Amino acid sequence: MKRNILHCFQILAVALLLLSSCANHPDVPSTSQKANSLPAIYPDYCNVTVPCNIAPLNFMLPADEFQECVARLTTPDGLQQTYGDGLKVQIPESEWHAMLGASKGKSIKVEVWGQKQGEWLSFSPFEIHVATEPIDEYISYRLIEPTYVAWSYMEIAQRNLSSFEESQIFNNEVTCVDREKGQCLNCHSYQNYKTDNMLFHVRLSNAGTIIVNDGKVSKVNLKRDYTISSGVYPSWHPTEKLIAFSTDLTRQAFHTQNHNKIEVYDEGSDLILYDVETDSVSVVSNDSTLLEVYPTWSPDGKFLYYCKTVPLPEEMHDKDIRTTFPKIQYNLYRRSFDVKSHDFGEEELVYDAVSQDKSATLPRISPDGRYLMFAEGRYGCFHSRHEEADIVCIPLREDSALVEKSAALDFTPVNSDGYSESYPTWSSNGHWIMVASRRDDGNYSRVFFAYFNNGKAEKAFMLPQEDPEHNTFLLKSYNRPEFMVEPVRISVDEFSKVFDK
Amino acid sequence: MKHIHLLYTLLFGVAVLLFFGMAYPHHLHYQEQYQLFLFDSTYVWDIIRLPGGIADLLGRFCTQFFLFAWVGALIIALLLSAVQLLTLRLISVSGNGAGVRAVFHGLSFVPSFLLWLFLLDENALLGGVWAVLLTLLALWLFVKLPKGWVRRIVIIVTIPILYWMVGPNWNGSHYHRYPTVFPTLLYAAWLTAVALPLLLSIKRKVKSEKNLSKQSDRGRAASAVPASASTGRRQQILHFSLFTFTFIIMMMLVWKNANFKAEKVMQYDFMACHQQWNRILQTVNAEKPNNQIGVTVQNLALGMRGMLSERLFDYHQNGLLGLLPDVERDATSPMPTAEAFYQLGMIYVAQRTVFEAQESILDFQKSGRCYKRLAQTNLILGSYEVARKYLTALQKTLFYRDWANETLPLLGNEEAIAKHPEYGRLRQFVCSDDYYFSDHVTSDMLERLFLCNTENRLAFEYLKAYYMLTGDRENYAKLLLHLQKLKQ
Repeated sequence: MKRNILHCFQILAVALLLLSSCANHPDVPSTSQKANSLPAIYPDYCNVTVPCNIAPLNFMLPADEFQECVARLTTPDGLQQTYGDGLKVQIPESEWHAMLGASKGKSIKVEVWGQKQGEWLSFSPFEIHVATEPIDEYISYRLIEPTYVAWSYMEIAQRNLSSFEESQIFNNEVTCVDREKGQCLNCHSYQNYKTDNMLFHVRLSNAGTIIVNDGKVSKVNLKRDYTISSGVYPSWHPTEKLIAFSTDLTRQAFHTQNHNKIEVYDEGSDLILYDVETDSVSVVSNDSTLLEVYPTWSPDGKFLYYCKTVPLPEEMHDKDIRTTFPKIQYNLYRRSFDVKSHDFGEEELVYDAVSQDKSATLPRISPDGRYLMFAEGRYGCFHSRHEEADIVCIPLREDSALVEKSAALDFTPVNSDGYSESYPTWSSNGHWIMVASRRDDGNYSRVFFAYFNNGKAEKAFMLPQEDPEHNTFLLKSYNRPEFMVEPVRISVDEFSKVFDK
Repeated sequence: MKHIHLLYTLLFGVAVLLFFGMAYPHHLHYQEQYQLFLFDSTYVWDIIRLPGGIADLLGRFCTQFFLFAWVGALIIALLLSAVQLLTLRLISVSGNGAGVRAVFHGLSFVPSFLLWLFLLDENALLGGVWAVLLTLLALWLFVKLPKGWVRRIVIIVTIPILYWMVGPNWNGSHYHRYPTVFPTLLYAAWLTAVALPLLLSIKRKVKSEKNLSKQSDRGRAASAVPASASTGRRQQILHFSLFTFTFIIMMMLVWKNANFKAEKVMQYDFMACHQQWNRILQTVNAEKPNNQIGVTVQNLALGMRGMLSERLFDYHQNGLLGLLPDVERDATSPMPTAEAFYQLGMIYVAQRTVFEAQESILDFQKSGRCYKRLAQTNLILGSYEVARKYLTALQKTLFYRDWANETLPLLGNEEAIAKHPEYGRLRQFVCSDDYYFSDHVTSDMLERLFLCNTENRLAFEYLKAYYMLTGDRENYAKLLLHLQKLKQ
């Protein structure tokens, strides 16, 4: 009896192993009709440029039109392989990485067949260009419902870009002591793409800013008597243990007939500098009549870039901010920074968005210091909720701080038409741009990457998922995606221990 | 008469069934609407990977049937009866004296009654009952096994598995929607269900030791004396008396602890959710509501039947908050308000209100009712891909699947939406004029809504009611004048 049970287990284990290692390699349809168009695959990976270390670009055909899908991938060395299981094309990681390795600097040809009402259609082939430059191994993001005021479960997660491995950095359940009050997590940030020095905020129940300093975790309160709030939007200095924060009195208003749904605005905002080693906060800028937000350091740490409003027209001075905030627009400025004395220089205008009736936010400087990238919308500071918001990239000048819109690069391949693009970031090698975009359905933010080389951006593509249907089901937004060159190694439990102290 | 105890169990089960089916049906609807059971491997895995996950999963699986109150009542009746029978079975194994069995037969109902009391709380989760039941099943398995090493090994192996099955998990499921609430009644039921057989077993052990010593002294076994016919009748009377006593005490406790006020509020919410306007009016005519949700629903029903302004003061009113309450951050109170916003054509506001309600569910579950309304609002607003997300999720449910399948073809089909009796009408009511919604109802908001589409009779009724409640005669007169002009 015992031998029989053991035998059954052995058979089951072998069968499971075989099943898990088997990829479906179907035959290419023997007869098909030419469609003379590119396949409408989801996500759209047609003619994109991808990093040489990205996870498999699994995709599928639309379920309401097709019954089956077969794809044939051909590498430059002539090797071919077919994939397809129902409507989905899912490529095993090992086979995909071998194909990427063989196609570095060249392209993988993809032919797709779709079965529609019993007949096979053959679509025009497309190419996946494989760049020689890798992408940073990890990204992190907050997964949250696109909420208004209330929220439920949220987490900050990290994802290995070479595989589909996703793990949790922290969640809002483990240290929440008052569920009715709730706990909110936000604004994870890293020094120089590394995770030994990082932070994130925990709001409301058990609140504080969690700071990792050379791998040591602590919880600090950044609110001071002389600041309007605790630290909000952060930026680590690239070399020093200093973090620039904005302090914000953030409010919300709700549309009654507008796809943007929510307006997030600041009633007040300033800039502060936090010294991690001494736990001291100094004010960088606190003009009570103007709003300063989204600080970011230049890669050499010699300049602090930020966004700042211009004074409102006089007739609007006494008006309620709920009526004036569509007129609140931000320009980009910078101030030089002396690393030794921690002194800031005079303010310099970098980009005048207001004169074009626009508002520029979320500036990021490329790692080589040559390009300024930011999100631009018509007004306000929260472009994640502005469907007209796009990413703009302008080369910086050596002779002047000021850059002009006329010098902006063609970022059409990165942006979508009529959907919000925001939160742009550069990979550590400056060849990959990551943005959060609502182009998928107008409501849920998804992560998109685009190749960037010598001032030219290529078509953006969605973060690949093991199940290509994943994003159609996922009722969470990817919030504040950040690149990292290494994973966060501190576990959720280790982070939660600082709340006990 | 050997199986007389089954008759008592049946009586108990029928009492539970009638209570939840007749006196407490809307508590079951309430439970159902704050969860979304998906036939999806990721959903199942996320639940069962935690301690207590199996009990939690079984509880959630059963709760989806609460959409139909009588089915829910039957499920609860079966579960509580099973708990009682298992407790009794364990007692029977543990105690062999007829008198002792009679006493403990009455007491075998205690865990089930405690669970009944536990389930009176609308935030008590059915997984708790499953946890008790699974524990009893495990105990029954243990006593069924032959004594010796096999039993010991099975116990050692089963205890961690049992912990994984029934938990509880302090960071996750602990069988109450409020994580900070300690479900005392559940733990009392759990404890009594396990402790009763254990106590009896100890008692029997002590007694058998005494008997052994008496046997050696007197050479006879006291327990070997067969029961006479009169002893049997006495046992039956004792059985009946103890059952009746326990039943009456427990029923009194159940009735005293039942929250019939909340049941009434939930009834109003249920009727509004199912747009039973005539039933609402019948209910308010029988007993005028004096709680905010009741008044909101009453006014909505009056409005839907075109009688709001005419009969406003025939009923209790709660100022403007009875017309359209402020959007609160909790899972329950915003739902009837959201229904009013939806029927008025304030679709974005209705969507936000429902979204906030769902996000306020304290144990982070989702809601079938909310998903349905979010799909509807997105469909009306033309956000078809977002609507598709909710509908695709609902396709994985047992009871919302058909509705999702019927609704999916509407996505992007403008003609079909325009012809749809509900979505077509509400789409016409949506005001193109965008402004920022205050959390309080304002006359400006209702005026805009009415002026955007003067066919919006409900907006007209609400605006008139607003002026009547605020005593704004001037604007009331202006509105009537405006209406007259429109008629001309």
